[in-house]
Amino acid sequence: MEPKVAFFDFTSCEGCQLDALNLTGEEAVALLNAVDIVNFREVKTERADNYDIAFIEGSITRESEIPRLQKIRAQAKVLIALGTCASIGGINCLKNHLPMEEALKIVYGKDARYYNTIPARPINAVIPVDYYIRGCPPVTTEIIKVIKALLLGKKPDIPNYPVCVECKMAGNVCVFERGMTCLGPVTRAGCGAICITSGRHCWGCRGLVEDPNIDSEKEILKKYGLTVEKVIEKFKIYDTYAEVAK
Amino acid sequence: MDKNSVLIVDDEPIVRESIRDWLQDAGYHVATAETGEEALEIIDRQDFSVMVLDLRLPGKTGIKVLKEVKTQRPWIKAIIITAYPSAETAEEATKLGAADYLIKPFAPDDLEKLIRETLNSVVQEPKVLTEVQVLPKPPALPTVEEVEVKKAFVISKDGLKSRVESLLKVMEVVGVKSKHGKYVYDKISSFDELHLDYDVTVMPPTRYLLPARENLLKFDVGAKPKVKPVVETVPRAIIGVHPYDIKAIELLDRVFLTSNTDPNYSTRRRNTIIIGVDPLNPSPKSFAPSMGTAFAETGFDLLLTDIGDDYMVTVGSEKGADLLAKYAKVRKPTGDEIAKQKAVREQALAKYKLSLDVPRERLPKLLEESYDDPYWETRSKTCLSCGSCVMVCPTCFCFDVQDEIALNLKEGERFRNWDGCMLVDFARVGTGENFRHDKASRLRHRMYRKGKYIMERYGVVGCVGCGRCATACLAEIASPLEAFNAIAESARVKEAAARLLREARPETELYVPCLADLVKVEELTPKEKVFEFKLQDGKKLGHRPGQFVEVSVMGIGEAPISISSSPTRDGTFQLAIRQVGDVTKALHALKKGAIVGIRGPFGNGFSLEALEGKNLLLIAGGIGLFPLRSLVQYVLDRRRSFGKVILLFGARSPSERLFIEELAQWKQSPDIEFHETVDKGDGSWKGNVGVITTLIPKVEIEPAKTMAVVVGPPIMYRFVIGELKKKGLADEHIIMSLERRMKCGVGKCGHCQINGVYVCQEGPVFSLAQLRNLREAV
Repeated sequence: MEPKVAFFDFTSCEGCQLDALNLTGEEAVALLNAVDIVNFREVKTERADNYDIAFIEGSITRESEIPRLQKIRAQAKVLIALGTCASIGGINCLKNHLPMEEALKIVYGKDARYYNTIPARPINAVIPVDYYIRGCPPVTTEIIKVIKALLLGKKPDIPNYPVCVECKMAGNVCVFERGMTCLGPVTRAGCGAICITSGRHCWGCRGLVEDPNIDSEKEILKKYGLTVEKVIEKFKIYDTYAEVAK
Repeated sequence: MDKNSVLIVDDEPIVRESIRDWLQDAGYHVATAETGEEALEIIDRQDFSVMVLDLRLPGKTGIKVLKEVKTQRPWIKAIIITAYPSAETAEEATKLGAADYLIKPFAPDDLEKLIRETLNSVVQEPKVLTEVQVLPKPPALPTVEEVEVKKAFVISKDGLKSRVESLLKVMEVVGVKSKHGKYVYDKISSFDELHLDYDVTVMPPTRYLLPARENLLKFDVGAKPKVKPVVETVPRAIIGVHPYDIKAIELLDRVFLTSNTDPNYSTRRRNTIIIGVDPLNPSPKSFAPSMGTAFAETGFDLLLTDIGDDYMVTVGSEKGADLLAKYAKVRKPTGDEIAKQKAVREQALAKYKLSLDVPRERLPKLLEESYDDPYWETRSKTCLSCGSCVMVCPTCFCFDVQDEIALNLKEGERFRNWDGCMLVDFARVGTGENFRHDKASRLRHRMYRKGKYIMERYGVVGCVGCGRCATACLAEIASPLEAFNAIAESARVKEAAARLLREARPETELYVPCLADLVKVEELTPKEKVFEFKLQDGKKLGHRPGQFVEVSVMGIGEAPISISSSPTRDGTFQLAIRQVGDVTKALHALKKGAIVGIRGPFGNGFSLEALEGKNLLLIAGGIGLFPLRSLVQYVLDRRRSFGKVILLFGARSPSERLFIEELAQWKQSPDIEFHETVDKGDGSWKGNVGVITTLIPKVEIEPAKTMAVVVGPPIMYRFVIGELKKKGLADEHIIMSLERRMKCGVGKCGHCQINGVYVCQEGPVFSLAQLRNLREAV
């Protein structure tokens, strides 16, 4: 009997779920042979409340989402945060810098009174999480890797080193040497340094490594010409929840 | 490759032919060879699944043949047959990768069965994209004199271009290209993409021998797992390799080709042609000349030097000679051209701005002595643990191994990818313990590898001075040059201080004792007395607790005696002495007012810096109290500098207790917790009876905050250490003072040497951690 897998989305763009689907035909068939997907809004309309593994996408921004998430936690044997919003809060947390009424007004204008909102938070601020698949969006191969690890009963091997490692493996010229700045040195790898390889810099979407040397990174960003405000702004984009919590 | 192909190598025709006939009948395709040389020639042309190899062959022995075959075609399974079996040859053959070992005579069925099993145990056919012969055999060399290894020739720039263009037709060519204003190695499709005048590349060319990720095995999982090796390579030429990278590749060759030959590296290496080029515009961060890597004499197939209109090309190998010979438009250099090559190289040398402040041969010793240098701690504070330094290093080769399984959960591959000791999890084990958990120890480990460990293990430099890590490190802490120079500077400062002290004492006085008056004598026991001396020149002795002096009674001799009093007390010093030999006997006969000679103080003494601020557990056995008393007095005089202080003292019997009055004072003192015991009591003794180790379990200590100092007879140490380890004290927290024969006290006479250490210089005080490396010590 294949384990039953369910995908749930909270406050998010659902891009993570789309990425989970970014498979070749062959891979998709293999995946469907290995697991029984019972709940996946992006794929099928039927739903079931009986599942073993829950993937949670998105962060928590409304009161009503909390009991819903708790119910999923109670049902799932294994619960996985899928993507940056679920894992570390992500860009939804940018609004936490404003009073909630103001945030509502900016987004909904005169209709703001019909909505309510709470400061955004990652799902582990509400319930315990077993595994994290970070990234905005996450890498499909990593999603598959985690599923395979769970099927084999081993701990998924998620890198705990910074993007620099994969960037060097990719043979890139360092972003700093090209006159730009980058969050790669403190951001968890696993993405294959895709942004830098494509000519951009690292935005830190996968969040920080376990023991990041933030002070040193800030000094380096300043040395390469960023003001303190700009440095803070850089860190804010994806990881603001942790930053505000400090 | 034919899965059922077998090569039989045996010099006895009867054996060779009968095996051939048996195996042919059993359906194998069989080739035979009479000698090892013949076998290697056949293997050079043709692949086999199995080789049946006799050990005793005329010419090349079976073992030598096996070794060469295993580097050339590691997947060939070798079955050794011999009429002269021995444990040594069997072990050697197994080490070299022989699949089995069969003793002659054997039955045909046994051999056939063995071959069948060998073939089935591992699926053959490694994925080698090329057959091993890199190039078709070249037409005969023009003449041996013309193109010869170790000689240099001149090739025109056009000539080089068409040579490269023709290489491009037969293999992958990698060269240095420009990217974002920097240089990188990449595949080229035409000569014009090449930059042969580059300074340094972002990544070294070693990735073409040891890729960032490569598969080692493919496997099927399940009840009957199947495993097969994977070796993937293409024939490739790398053009434009600088000498420092050539040296790095020579290191990798030592790591991966000598002992436990790495099949993946070996195959790739054999399929790689290295065409070097002398750097004429070195990178400003390079310090290659200091590492002896600015030029290379070996390690390349061809090496180019730009001498203006033409290139000088030096032939480094037969492969290189073949390459050049195939394209004969080279000529011998003129005298002017040879002089030009020399001149451009010298001009290039003059352009390096950075250099080591010490000869590189001294780095291992310098590092050895700098393990505790504060540099590692302070310098690593800004380390991002990002791994950039190790990723860009041409001499870094560490890797991680992981399994990746397909979604069908039936098959998978085991791959390796780059890993490095600067990454946080590099030394973390399954239980969660991380053996290099702090940034300082990781930085130190990397620098030790670069300056010491690799040199000691492989005999070549571990850092080639390319300067890539210095560029890649955003925190600007990765340069081995900077680390080596910094610790050299700190060693120089220490040395200068030591020299200053040495020079303060004129050389002629090294063996001349200062005269000292005996101002007081007191009997401790019938065998032991304490003597109080005052130097005649009025100076203080200037010792630290734990040091010793050489005491002379002129005409009798000199003896090393530890100092029993604290430097914090008076202008006199005390030596407690047991009467054991000639000098001590003479000393015991002296009366107040007598004059003796004193040299010293000598030795390191107790490290007060290491003890200050800590709780102390001081343990003295018998006359071990003599040197330890100096520390006890010191601690009591500077009481606020130390935490809780416990003193344990053991004597053999109540009559052998020493410094009885002081013992009584310590017992009363609120500053010190004092316990004592005697091995054997008598009628008058009401205290503890038992050896000193019995006291240890009774005291309460916090192992992390406590330093134990132990002085006593040699026999005592082992048992006391055992008890202290039970208390959870780390080796670094157990300090001991050793006794050795000492004649000179100044590190010359050699008597006190323990392994490489002179007790009178580096000792007599050692931590247990230090002693663990000194096997003669305890």
